[in-house]
Amino acid sequence: MSASNVVFAIVVVAAFGFFSYNVQRLVGELQIGRHDDSRWNDLPRRFWNFLQIGIFQKKIFRDGVAGPMHAAIFWGFCVLTLGTIEMILGGIVPGFSFSPYVPRLGYEFYEFNQNVWAALVLAAVSFALFRRLTKRVKRLQGAETHANDPLLILSWIGALMITMFASHATTGIVHDLMWWSHALLVLGFLNYLPYSKHLHVVVSLPNVFLSNTSGPGVIGAMRPMDLESDAAVFGAKDVEDLSWKSLLDGFACTECGRCTSVCPANLTGKLLSPRKIVVNVRERLEAEAKGDHSKTLLDDFITEEELWSCTTCRACVQECPVSIDQLSVILELRRNLVLGESRFPEEIMPAFESMEQRGSPWAFDPGDRAKWAAGMDIPTMAEMAERNERPEVLYWVGCMGSFDDRSKKTTVAFAKILKAAGVNFAILGQEEKCNGDAARRMGNEYLYQMLAKDNIETLERYGVKTVVTACPHCFHQIGNEYPQFGGNYDVVHHSTYIESLMAAGRVPLREDLHEPVRTFTYHDSCYLGRYNDVYDAPRETMRRALPMLNLVEMPRSKDRGLCCGAGGGRMFMEEKVGKRINAERAEEALATGADAIAVACPFCMTMMSDSVKSRDSHVDVYDVAEVVAGQLAI
Amino acid sequence: MANTNVFAFAESRGGELRRAALEAVTAARGVADSTGGQVHAMLAGAPGIGGLAAKLAACGADVVIVVESAGLANYNPEAVAATVAARLSSGAYRAAFFVASAQGRDLAPRVAAKCQLPIASDITEFTVSGDAVAVKHPGYTGKVIQSFTLRAATAIISLRPGAVLPKDNAKAGTVEAVAPAIDPSSARVVVTATVQSEGAKLDLGEAPVIISGGRGLKEAANFKLVEDLAAAFGNAAVGATRAVTDEGWRPHSDQIGQTGRLVSPQLYIACGISGAIQHLAGMRTSKTIVAINRDKEAPIFKIADYGIVGDVLEILPVLTAAVKEAKKGA
Amino acid sequence: MDVRFKIAPSGISVDESGLKFDISDFDGYAVEAALQIKEKQADPAASEVVVISLGPDVVQETLRKAMSMGADRAVQLKYDGPIHDSYAIASALAAELKGGSYDLVMFGRMSIDTANQATGTIAAELLGLPIITAISKLDIEGGRVKARRELEGAYELVECPLPAVVTIDEGIARPRYPSLKGIMAAKKKPLESKPAQVGEERYKLDKMELPPERAAGRIIGEGKDAVPELVRLLKEEAKVL
Repeated sequence: MSASNVVFAIVVVAAFGFFSYNVQRLVGELQIGRHDDSRWNDLPRRFWNFLQIGIFQKKIFRDGVAGPMHAAIFWGFCVLTLGTIEMILGGIVPGFSFSPYVPRLGYEFYEFNQNVWAALVLAAVSFALFRRLTKRVKRLQGAETHANDPLLILSWIGALMITMFASHATTGIVHDLMWWSHALLVLGFLNYLPYSKHLHVVVSLPNVFLSNTSGPGVIGAMRPMDLESDAAVFGAKDVEDLSWKSLLDGFACTECGRCTSVCPANLTGKLLSPRKIVVNVRERLEAEAKGDHSKTLLDDFITEEELWSCTTCRACVQECPVSIDQLSVILELRRNLVLGESRFPEEIMPAFESMEQRGSPWAFDPGDRAKWAAGMDIPTMAEMAERNERPEVLYWVGCMGSFDDRSKKTTVAFAKILKAAGVNFAILGQEEKCNGDAARRMGNEYLYQMLAKDNIETLERYGVKTVVTACPHCFHQIGNEYPQFGGNYDVVHHSTYIESLMAAGRVPLREDLHEPVRTFTYHDSCYLGRYNDVYDAPRETMRRALPMLNLVEMPRSKDRGLCCGAGGGRMFMEEKVGKRINAERAEEALATGADAIAVACPFCMTMMSDSVKSRDSHVDVYDVAEVVAGQLAI
Repeated sequence: MANTNVFAFAESRGGELRRAALEAVTAARGVADSTGGQVHAMLAGAPGIGGLAAKLAACGADVVIVVESAGLANYNPEAVAATVAARLSSGAYRAAFFVASAQGRDLAPRVAAKCQLPIASDITEFTVSGDAVAVKHPGYTGKVIQSFTLRAATAIISLRPGAVLPKDNAKAGTVEAVAPAIDPSSARVVVTATVQSEGAKLDLGEAPVIISGGRGLKEAANFKLVEDLAAAFGNAAVGATRAVTDEGWRPHSDQIGQTGRLVSPQLYIACGISGAIQHLAGMRTSKTIVAINRDKEAPIFKIADYGIVGDVLEILPVLTAAVKEAKKGA
Repeated sequence: MDVRFKIAPSGISVDESGLKFDISDFDGYAVEAALQIKEKQADPAASEVVVISLGPDVVQETLRKAMSMGADRAVQLKYDGPIHDSYAIASALAAELKGGSYDLVMFGRMSIDTANQATGTIAAELLGLPIITAISKLDIEGGRVKARRELEGAYELVECPLPAVVTIDEGIARPRYPSLKGIMAAKKKPLESKPAQVGEERYKLDKMELPPERAAGRIIGEGKDAVPELVRLLKEEAKVL
């Protein structure tokens, strides 16, 4: 062992020592967050996420340019880490190599890969640098980004590769110089990460593993609050009120901006940027960890205006390659605004009051809920119970479906389909109340739980098992969030239900062979699509109803669909800043040249038809149920 | 023997008689005719107010009690209430009529309390018979009609404005000058100023008439037509739908609907408004709703009392002219 | 409240099943205005906002709501029967208020059910306090109440010395939405219930009826030719012109 081996051993110990100090510091920072024990359940699913999203870079590839580039660097890192280990050990133990421990062919394969991947990484970082320096890629811009950090990191990685190649290709003093440069760059890189947004490199994989899991629906469900507890803070005002996982999100974020680039609020000129939310969490956390208690995340970093711009469409969460949950931070902060401080846009007060007083966000008489059904001979649950009968399904109509004139047409259309299919169904009529989704997403957990519990009590009283509804918000709430309060029902969205009725041959359709070809485009509802993975049923339903249908897709469709602008309680708020989201979406729909826009949500219906109308366009907006009902053979 | 004379309070403001005065006198006249008594109307104000006595006589006042004092130039609630109460206590009246205007609503309960009498407020119909008065009154913001019986030697009745229309029925109107029962300057409650509101800027919440415009107006400039109609009414405010305020044609403060103002005026004229749920939620409790819209299927027609199908841009000027004409006659 | 009314079998009250009780609009403004006055004091903790309501036990819900907005304590003057005579109600309230040495007593301008618009005024007269009714703006300066009252097409500026009574019109302040913190705190605030001393009722409700249903929309014509008919109907039928 030479003196240089000893020196290197000391350097390695110092480097890893400093790194582990930083790891401890960061773990300590995470512990500032709220306890969250929902991060270790469903391990198979977590491993699957880890493989799919983490190792195989599934979401990264959603961007066709940056995707392969990033994957090359990521996979390169995985491969090159082996080489780095070999190199470090070789620096301490003279002449160390993996070769004695593996078959010759295996070692040659390993060496070949080291070179190939190093070349790929070098190519990828060169391209990345070129892209950053020459093209101003929109999503990489933004006041909250650390614009020089990526340049440094990319150059650093490039230097790592070059010094590695150089050390292989040279001998003597030049080799030693290159070897030492490479080794110090590696160890320096490791220790630079904790101070950079590129902590991402270390935290991403664990973050993917720890993210919300468990399939459609539950991923988008909000955390229930214990309203009886004597909590000092409701929701979150500062980093200590957030789950430690939200804080980890801050470490995992590398500011790629994919979230912000798909945010409907941001795209239409609002202040909200989901990336900024995550960056702010980390900034505030680091200040807090240093003992700076003079500021809070809410107000000092994230303003009310940003929070109320969110439509809760989940596009940001969907898009994040490392499964960061920007939305839960926004929603926890909203909870604090509403429950803790009664601070909210004043125009939502009537909605809150009406939900509490009348069980609907609009000031309509609960007694009028079933008015749409006049003359249709549709029983209420109460009437059936009186006759000791129980229906096959409960049709949950929802407030829009009950009171909004346009949505009532959808309601009637769906009821006609059910009748034509011979489904034995009933409605709740006056006993139905708002599902509470808008209240919950606007931060009013108190009001939400009141409504949810009332509804569950009603459903339990009638022993309801299966619920079908035409409203994705009712669908999501009753199916995915009511189980938090003991309400477990089989909830089906009407698009899925109609499709299954059609598949079973229960829907009598007109056989019109001279049907003209019609061109439709379908607008995905966020709460149906991204929240529940229902993309095909509405499309399939229409195709079955209209065999001659030409269904064209908008550029942003399915899990990339753009929100209509009404979610998260935005329906009840003013949209004063920037372009209207529904205008952005309607323009996209009209640009397809379709002669009708199909929707599967009453909120989307309102937003889309309002915007289409304001353009003096004659394109129709239909609910999928109306499309089917129009073809009924009765 | 039961009381036969009937008292009426004749409201004035700034030396001008209010229509409420004639309504009170007309109501009192009707009762006096059935009891065979006289109508005594009280007029209070700054010196010179007595000049209005003849107008009260024309509606049926047998006696006009004139209370003149410099301290009554502005409405002086305590002095006027004390004077009315003193008169009622000494005058053996079967009933005393007020009109539930801003002033009458303030005055009548003061008088009732001073006389230790019950009061019937905001009455739309009444029948005096024997020792009881049967009255009707809309409760729960007009959702129900309540029928009450008022039992008192002197029935204090505050009428809903417009419940009784002034009728000519000329009587002597003998003037009787009376001094205020308390020195007006000793009153604790002092009206320091009465300020005329600018006619145009009526608040949506207060205006008895609202003319509201929607996207059917096509562009911001056409709101002039809505403003003209409001001006023709004189007591109207201008509102708008969310679509319109979102387009920036009108300020957000003008928005009527779920996310804007919730209004319930006597008359609501919806111009080029289709009637989205969000708009209906804000105005459906209006007393009379008129809708003008091109699409006869528009939901607004379902809740409108009167609808005209047609181009709002063409109809509004005609309506404005007709309203101007009708107002001239009133 | 904006729900369809059903008349109870008694014929003199509303069928309350399925109805949620809330502070009536004007009382809500009054509570808000009171809280704002308290908050403006140099030492808000030294002043107290007390809410009083006369009625059956359901009014406790309303009182709790006021306390969740921030009122410090509440008194229920328990009275189970229907009561509509403002004089009788005001006497019971005045009896309670007399002992309270309040600097300012605030009423809503009127209730929603009977809408007599008289209770506050009569209570003030019974207490011998000056009263300003239906105010839309309120300032307390140098021991005096300075208020604004809306008139038809005009407004008055009115003053009186404290202690005083005021009744509150809309426009003064939008009632705050109770925070969850407030709701939790309200559960622990004192609510005293005692029998109301209601005197003889001389104004009695005999019956309640629903007004005739609003006739379904009537399209009176097309285009500008329909205008004269509209004007006639507004004049003669709706009587709004």
